Amino acid sequence: MLRNTRRETLVALVLIAPFLAIYGLTFVYPTVAMVNLSFTDAPLIGPGQWVGFDNYTRLAGERRFDTAFWNTAYFVALSVIPGTFVAMVIALGVSRLTGRMQALVLALFFLPYILPVSVVYRLWDWTLNFQFGIAMYVFDIWGIERVPIFKTTTWFMPAVAFVTIWWTCGFSILLFLAGLRAIPAEIYEAASLDNTGRWTMFRRITWPLLWPVTALVTTIQLILQLKIFDQVYLFSTGGRPNDNLVLVYYIFQRAFVNNQGGRAAAIAVVLFLIVVIVSVLNFQLMRLAERRK
Amino acid sequence: MTNYKVTGSVMLLAGFMSTAAQAEVVVEWWDFLGGGDGVRMKQLIEEFNAEHAGEISIQATTLEWGVPFYTKVQTSVAVGEAPDIMTYHASRIPLAVSQNVLSEITADDWATMGLGEGDFASATWDAVTIDSAQYAVPLDTHPIVLYYNKELLSAAGVLTDDGVPMGMDSLEGFTETMRALQSNGVKFPLGSVTADGNFMFRTIYSLVGQQGGELITDGEFLTGDNAEKLANALAVLQDWTNEGLQSTYTDYPATVALFTSGEAAMMINGVWEVPTMTDLNAAGNLFEWGAVELPMIFDQRATYADSHSFAIPAGDMDPETRAATLEVMSWMLKNSLFWATAGHIPAYAPVTATAEYAAMEPNATYSPLTDNMIFDPKSPLAGVAGPIFDVMSTYFVPTLNGEMDPTEAVEEIIIELNDM
Repeated sequence: MLRNTRRETLVALVLIAPFLAIYGLTFVYPTVAMVNLSFTDAPLIGPGQWVGFDNYTRLAGERRFDTAFWNTAYFVALSVIPGTFVAMVIALGVSRLTGRMQALVLALFFLPYILPVSVVYRLWDWTLNFQFGIAMYVFDIWGIERVPIFKTTTWFMPAVAFVTIWWTCGFSILLFLAGLRAIPAEIYEAASLDNTGRWTMFRRITWPLLWPVTALVTTIQLILQLKIFDQVYLFSTGGRPNDNLVLVYYIFQRAFVNNQGGRAAAIAVVLFLIVVIVSVLNFQLMRLAERRK
Repeated sequence: MTNYKVTGSVMLLAGFMSTAAQAEVVVEWWDFLGGGDGVRMKQLIEEFNAEHAGEISIQATTLEWGVPFYTKVQTSVAVGEAPDIMTYHASRIPLAVSQNVLSEITADDWATMGLGEGDFASATWDAVTIDSAQYAVPLDTHPIVLYYNKELLSAAGVLTDDGVPMGMDSLEGFTETMRALQSNGVKFPLGSVTADGNFMFRTIYSLVGQQGGELITDGEFLTGDNAEKLANALAVLQDWTNEGLQSTYTDYPATVALFTSGEAAMMINGVWEVPTMTDLNAAGNLFEWGAVELPMIFDQRATYADSHSFAIPAGDMDPETRAATLEVMSWMLKNSLFWATAGHIPAYAPVTATAEYAAMEPNATYSPLTDNMIFDPKSPLAGVAGPIFDVMSTYFVPTLNGEMDPTEAVEEIIIELNDM
């Protein structure tokens, strides 16, 4: 049968046109416009004068950008790998259970994930508030000195990272479970016939075969946590937001509080590049590691 | 309740009947009054709507105070979705005018409302004036005051026969009062919002004012000995923390809770918490309490104050809506005696001149402070939740909780202020 390739191309084009149009309108165009904006001194709404690389060069010497950058990096370090690790451990545990028990335990671990961030904030503020948090009364009973967790820079990021892991690890657990179920049971059977210990089984079978899922989870986590905003915003209201600044918060502050759209766009472009570079690097590294195995 | 329902149905009926002849003008209203004063404002709005049934109806929305409110105002004006009337802090007006957010209140508007310069204190009128044009109609002035628990103070022997705290005229005196409370077993003699630098700006600015200092001199930040005065103010508060006289790392809701639960004997807070105390006390859930002007810690009396005002956002507005909006503002000011029950001092002078106002408590106890009120510097960088507020607050929290030295904090503040 003869194929009319020209016709096929045409059909293909028609079929993807709606997607391309929407993608162009809601992603490509705003991205280009944002990059453009970052070279101007525009306010939040309306045009501005071309200022070249000024918005970028002044970021280098800015204290708040510095704070925001390092806080974001610190938060990523505290949440991505620990979060992935916790999710994997829980998934390994859950996968040993069967039937209703498994469904129940899984549901319990997944429950926090369905909560909106504002509820998460309320729950943990009730727990950890310096004056009236439930945990503080427990501290009092044990004779431990109270800690103003969300009011000191020492504890803020670790606490927010902890809350974030508690809140979001349900989703990663699901991914890991799916990964675990995809490992054929025969491999484990064969291994146990050879008297393989539990640790060797994990190291030689589960870990390498789960690797693609691990790579996926860390990449998703990395992108998500680089864009941290909600939790930091909520937990630092009525506290010290400028000490707990993260990059997206800083974009918000420049754009919406200080009415400096151009400068905000410059930070957004920097963050965009960081996300692209870091996530591509991460994924490539993960693939390299896989090949070595 | 039944009364409301009847009025409601009458209004509804009147609404149906009048639609043909004349449509009711809807005035869209935004405010940031979320506390006890918000409840009173809602009551005023209901009264207005009842009185103007069939003619004007206010559709009110309460938004979150501070940055979220002003951010929303700015974006809504830019895209033409602003309300018809909104509450606005007088201290934010210079910034708002520089951002073209507000519509001028013209001489004709003032005439239509039946209000004028003579109806306001000159400082208040000045606060809404930029380059001899007015951009808002002042509703009140709201200073900060010292709240105190009469029972705890009396038990510690630091309540005078007139029922006010002892030692209000010097740093030593006030510190002694706090020490007496402390040795009498009070956990926190003073409840302070030490976790929120934004809030503490008001107290610290008052203490700078008590030394005759100012933030901006000829466009320069903290010139001459003003930096030292700021450091002095911070040092006093830090000493109180070091001595365990005030609560540390306390956020706003927790501070109010510490006071109302009796864990803190005194609290420096805005007059807007007066209705909270009044209502709790009326329900039998609060001790005997009082509110007075801030203690004189330095050489002169000074108290930070701001003013809630009504403003019209910039942008096109049809004449009927504008007329209705002016009527709303005029009515609110002329009925602002009730607003005084929210703790605020009405800006409309004929109201404060009445005998009813003079008899109102606790307003009468703290109203002498009106002679010593200081407002924010008039600059686009000043104002509640504005850039200066924001920068300074960053360094207030570590200083007030003893993490940072006051002089170091002032140096950092100056660097960052000049960096804006």
